[in-house]
Amino acid sequence: MSAANGFWSRARRHRSFVAGGALTSLLIATALLSLIWTPYGPTKMSLRYRLKLPSPEHWLGTDQYGRDILSIIMAGAQNSISVGVVSVSIGLVIGVGMGLLAAARRGWIEEVTMRASDFAFAFPAILLAIMLVAAIGPGSVNAIIAIGVFNIPIFARLTRGAAAAVWTREFVLAARAAGKGLTRISVEHVLPNITAVIVVQGTVQFAIAILAEAALSYLGLGAQPPAPSWGRMLSEAQTMIYINPMLAVYPGIAIAISVLGLNLLGDGLRDLIDPRLARQR
Amino acid sequence: MTALLAVDNLEVALDTAHGPARAVRGVSFSLERGDTLGIVGESGCGKSMTALAIMGLLPEAARARGTVSLEGRDLVTLDEDALCGIRGNRIAMIFQEPMTSLNPVHPIGRQIAEPMRLHRGMSRAAALAETVRLLDRVGLPNPESRVGNYPHQLSGGQRQRVMIAMALSCTPDILIADEPTTALDVTIQEQILDLIHDLVDELGMALILISHDLGVIAQTVDRLLVMYGGAIIEQGSTQAVFDRLAHPYSQGLFAAVPKLGQGATRRLATIPGTVPDVSQMPPGCAFAERCPRVLGICREKMPEMTVLRPDHAAACFALGQTGADRR
Repeated sequence: MSAANGFWSRARRHRSFVAGGALTSLLIATALLSLIWTPYGPTKMSLRYRLKLPSPEHWLGTDQYGRDILSIIMAGAQNSISVGVVSVSIGLVIGVGMGLLAAARRGWIEEVTMRASDFAFAFPAILLAIMLVAAIGPGSVNAIIAIGVFNIPIFARLTRGAAAAVWTREFVLAARAAGKGLTRISVEHVLPNITAVIVVQGTVQFAIAILAEAALSYLGLGAQPPAPSWGRMLSEAQTMIYINPMLAVYPGIAIAISVLGLNLLGDGLRDLIDPRLARQR
Repeated sequence: MTALLAVDNLEVALDTAHGPARAVRGVSFSLERGDTLGIVGESGCGKSMTALAIMGLLPEAARARGTVSLEGRDLVTLDEDALCGIRGNRIAMIFQEPMTSLNPVHPIGRQIAEPMRLHRGMSRAAALAETVRLLDRVGLPNPESRVGNYPHQLSGGQRQRVMIAMALSCTPDILIADEPTTALDVTIQEQILDLIHDLVDELGMALILISHDLGVIAQTVDRLLVMYGGAIIEQGSTQAVFDRLAHPYSQGLFAAVPKLGQGATRRLATIPGTVPDVSQMPPGCAFAERCPRVLGICREKMPEMTVLRPDHAAACFALGQTGADRR
């Protein structure tokens, strides 16, 4: 396909896409590798080796329980990715569905959906997630659900706007004249034309989800010990800040690299998929 | 016997910022299989609204009243699901802009095959075979390899052929063509009109051709409606109307067509003024403000349709002074 070739040849020259892609690949590769191999067990404590500095045995040193930092960071990547994938999927499936429905049916359905989104937007997202977790109880799964829920209005609103624009296009009228119903048109004609914006927003939300999960875990509302999590590593490092400040730096770097990579990837995708979008934002 | 399509006293009301507007006012006509009907008028005269009302595809702000009956079944009151079974199946439509009427993300073959799978329950393979046959019939070269093409790989004329293939895929009883050639080059226009004409003959469909181009209308349809301000102001057989334009508006419209050999010295004739705003229609004849033969009564009440000859009628108070010698 000539269109696909064009995409990749432009993609290779797009700096933020390449950088973002590389960083995101690093994140994914680390998570995959940690499934089969980590230097030490990420939850294995060893009191004899507490708070060791970096050495050939422990590349990044050990924490206050003698766990190997590199191993926890690697296993933490799994956690971050699963939080991102699941919470973005929740927001994507429900939000895009709501947005498509609102754009197709208009009238009161659209009003209710959009006003509900406005209501959700009125709260800072992280506060909303904290409220939700407080209500349904702390834990990894609940944190994912909470982050997923705050993704719903974002995708709903984005989809409704983009879909409404597609609905005014002439080919939709032509499809209706061919006898297609609203659902069919939404799935066959509207959705494929707004995939680009949704994918771009998906990468951005992925990064936000990783940050949000780290924040929730930092507050003790996300992953519970001993499950490896970058956010919890930060909170545990907090008490050791004067003894070994590097304990906080490693997970911080891991979070920063992941979020930066995903954001660069999203920016790059936005430029590459639809140059017009770059100017709108 | 009930007519194939009978439009009776069709009204379309639009909600505008200035209040309700009557975009279509009391339009009535009927159509049998094999009939070809042209609707002429300038932008905003209600011709497209009439077509959309027949299809049940009016914009959200518009409401239709009156009846549109397809073999005795009223389409105006029909629900969306039932209409979906009629659109594309019994009544199909071709639009003005072939460049934007096809979905850019799907191959054309799939877009043509979809109505057949939807309405005729055809298998993928059967629909594909039929698609190739249709593309061949509408004159797209190498149809077997073209089915996988995306719209951007085709020219405007080719896309309009694809639209025609799509519209004909379920052999509808009625084909509505809304300015099908306006966006095309003149040479391509000819070919597309010939194609539509041949296909209508071949399949025994009824055709409603909407255009602002009198030349397009003259060579394609047998019967003609001239619309102005949402209402029919003149109607009849194409021959009779063209021979003896009765309504001052029709005469103005005809005079405004550029003619070859006239030389650059003569200015193109125009009709002074603009179409009145549909939300502020005068109580009398909508054309009164622009009419060269306006009478006092014209501003007070709407003229009735007057039969001039068995196949020719016009709605005007000043018909006594028709422009038989307009040329």
